Amino acid sequence: MRLSYVATGALMTVRELLRNRVVLIMLFVIPSVFYTLVALTTPDRPIAFKLASVSEDTFVSVSQKSESLIFIGLAAVGFLTSFVAMTLIRRDVDVNRRLVVCGYRPSELVVSKLAVLVGVILVVALFVSTALLVFFRPEHFALTAVGLILVGWVYGAYGLLVGALFRRELEAVLFIALLANIDAGWLQNPIYYADAQNTEIIRALPAYFPSQVSMVAAFSDHPVTIPVLASIGYGLSLLVLALIVHRWRMPAFRG
Amino acid sequence: MNDRALLTINDIAKAFRGTPVLNGVDLELRSGQMLAVVGENGSGKSTLLKIIVGLLEPDAGAFRIQGTMGYCPQESLVFENLTVRENFQFFGKAYGLTDWRERSVRLLKRFQFAQYADYLISKVSGGTRQKLNLCLALMHDPDVLILDEPYSGFDWETYLHFWGLTEELLERGRGLLIVSHLIYDHDQFSAVHELVDGVLRCD
Repeated sequence: MRLSYVATGALMTVRELLRNRVVLIMLFVIPSVFYTLVALTTPDRPIAFKLASVSEDTFVSVSQKSESLIFIGLAAVGFLTSFVAMTLIRRDVDVNRRLVVCGYRPSELVVSKLAVLVGVILVVALFVSTALLVFFRPEHFALTAVGLILVGWVYGAYGLLVGALFRRELEAVLFIALLANIDAGWLQNPIYYADAQNTEIIRALPAYFPSQVSMVAAFSDHPVTIPVLASIGYGLSLLVLALIVHRWRMPAFRG
Repeated sequence: MNDRALLTINDIAKAFRGTPVLNGVDLELRSGQMLAVVGENGSGKSTLLKIIVGLLEPDAGAFRIQGTMGYCPQESLVFENLTVRENFQFFGKAYGLTDWRERSVRLLKRFQFAQYADYLISKVSGGTRQKLNLCLALMHDPDVLILDEPYSGFDWETYLHFWGLTEELLERGRGLLIVSHLIYDHDQFSAVHELVDGVLRCD
């Protein structure tokens, strides 16, 4: 892999992204709207829920509003990063194929997009983490932010996979909306999880480990090493699948 | 100048889901030659072209390109959210050109669209896109230039520029292959091949 090719690819991808003003604005508007709605509608009364990744018997009692803010922040980062990832890998796919015919390696193109995606994940997750401080301060702020970065990592990889798999945009959008909505936007809410059955299904979904990192870090002193590592591994697995599909869809590099 | 085989295609075959599309295609393009491959819609022209440029693998047969290849697709395959100049930069990198700036300036002048160099592609006319589409195939001065349906892809101005350029390219020993459902200016071509039933027949 030639690093200068990756750098040029990343530079061009950033330029394209920065020119898409509406998307850039939405990256900040959507979490702000989500937070505002939660802050306006959720009561402050205490609520008890299970920290599922710590043990089945570990409960914490916290403000319902604080819990909902963490939950909605995770959902917002998951939604946004998966859509951005899907767009990055799908947009101009035929022009990228032409670039490969002209001498780019498919791996250089995909790594350049991945580098930009990591940047987007960091910016969005850090914005959402910092905005949390307007409403309350998590017990371990840095680790809570790590959970938000990790949900971006896992859902970003999922977005890449969906973008590489589906040729038409509608299918890709539906697959992202479906999973992000049911997983990050519903099942990973610890309040729902507390009474859920077949919880092994919830534990197998992409947002489970990152959600646990943020929830455990925000409301307890329990370690988060295992969910952090599991999140990294989950994201990596999705990423490898995405790279395989992407490579298969691209023409061979002739050198 | 006709002394060097730039593109040699031997017995290329390709089938899709058991339906043969190419049944042993042979073709040789030598330096200083301009060849046309014509055929009805569905005759396999696009399949042959995709195999030559590397977008598709053949089931059987072999081909060899001596030197570098430039490919001008029918549709303008350029980055919409980049400027004309940035497209040159990106493709220049793909070709491994360190002097992409100088080359792009020459082409911008030659094809008379230098005034749009810093415009986003999404803001320029179809004619400017077509010029850029062709220039991106030319910027590394390829030994073999392959054009897909240039008659329907080019506007009149680009078409005239193109013919002016072909003469110069052929004099310099380059080879041109034009793939189209029909061609005009037959006498400009070294040979016209028709793709019928998956094989090439020379007119």
